[in-house]
Amino acid sequence: MNCNEAGALVAAHADDELGGFRRHSIEKHLRSCAGCATKHQGVLALRARLRAEVPYFRAPPALHTRVRAMLADTHAVAPARPRLEPNRWRWLTGGALAGCTATVLAWVVGTAVIDWRANEDVAVEAVATHVRATLNNHLIEVASSDQHTVKPWLSARLDYSPPVQDLADEGFVLAGGRLDTLEKRPVATLVYRYRQHTIDVFVRPEAAHAPSSLRTVRGFNVAYATGAGMDWLAVSDVSADVLSTFVQRLARAAASQ
Amino acid sequence: MSQHPRFEELVLPHLDAGYNMARWLTRNVNDAEDVVQDACVRALTYVGALHGSDGKAWFLTIVRHAFYDWCRRNRPAEIAPDDGTAIDLAIDPAAMDPQQAALRGAESRMLADAVAELPLIFREVLILRELEELSYKEIARIADVPIGTVMSRLARARGLLQRSPLLHAAR
Ligand SMILES: [Zn+2]
Repeated sequence: MNCNEAGALVAAHADDELGGFRRHSIEKHLRSCAGCATKHQGVLALRARLRAEVPYFRAPPALHTRVRAMLADTHAVAPARPRLEPNRWRWLTGGALAGCTATVLAWVVGTAVIDWRANEDVAVEAVATHVRATLNNHLIEVASSDQHTVKPWLSARLDYSPPVQDLADEGFVLAGGRLDTLEKRPVATLVYRYRQHTIDVFVRPEAAHAPSSLRTVRGFNVAYATGAGMDWLAVSDVSADVLSTFVQRLARAAASQ
Repeated sequence: MSQHPRFEELVLPHLDAGYNMARWLTRNVNDAEDVVQDACVRALTYVGALHGSDGKAWFLTIVRHAFYDWCRRNRPAEIAPDDGTAIDLAIDPAAMDPQQAALRGAESRMLADAVAELPLIFREVLILRELEELSYKEIARIADVPIGTVMSRLARARGLLQRSPLLHAAR
């Protein structure tokens, strides 16, 4: 190992992030190179001072009290599903609660990406796809609230033409679309916004084996409908009843077009 | 089923960690409490969806989200669009007069001040690594960046601290 290679690994070694061969190599290099050894010592010395001189702030008793009060409060309001009184908590959440849901849940759901390979379930795969798009910030490839822009973009890239509707009047605003793969076939994904939530709708020609109409996969709701010769599979963190009404509404609107 | 037992089991033990992070990010006692309480409200709502038992990293992720929502409303200028901009936000160690640093040092916790003055994205990884003693992988997950970015931000944070006159004023 030379100084160039060692230099890149000195901090990782000080952070105890190296194992096996690389750890062995850098330890050997540090014994014989004063320059790299000094860098390594620098990280350790800074750590020692940080832990000695920089305070670790523990939650003050007042905060414990506030959190306990919140628990007692939500317990009294809705023991089954903690729902917060809008007025009382609005100043706390600032309406941002919904916005962070997807990300927070995505963190939890991360493993779903691995799961679907072992499980042919299309709902699980759809949730994994939704999470992957959210995590990679790749929700939308064609951004438009105009169905006449989104539809041709998707049709040009698929061997079928997915119906695209705007349901903005009902609060579901078309944000755009993207291409995904579902059960190894390219699929059109329509992206809608509902309040602060994102809804992915996978649209594909009707498959023989339909999934069950409504499911929860790792905290996400998956709702399903058929209409206009298509399968409509919606994935979102909006409530189950809203999602299932929405997807049925989409499929019906397409069928009546 | 009530989520309270899960919240008490998985989240409450990490209230200190959440507060410490919020306190270092907001640099203010009252704001830190508000951020943590907001995070607790969110955590209570979603704790039912938490699989596994790594409540600490999960809760810190939520605290961080709550902080950034708060920060966007209250101090948008602190949020740098990229690491390069964040470096520009850092106080140039060379620009600080050593004598002035020594004077300040006499009245305050010098190294703590230097940490508090780090740009946000460098400060958060440093706190998670050196005070919470989390691994690169955990930090990457919490801060929602690749491990390589965690390493480069840590290197920046350490470099800025090691060159800070506030650090040497204590010696
Ligand atoms: Zn060397």
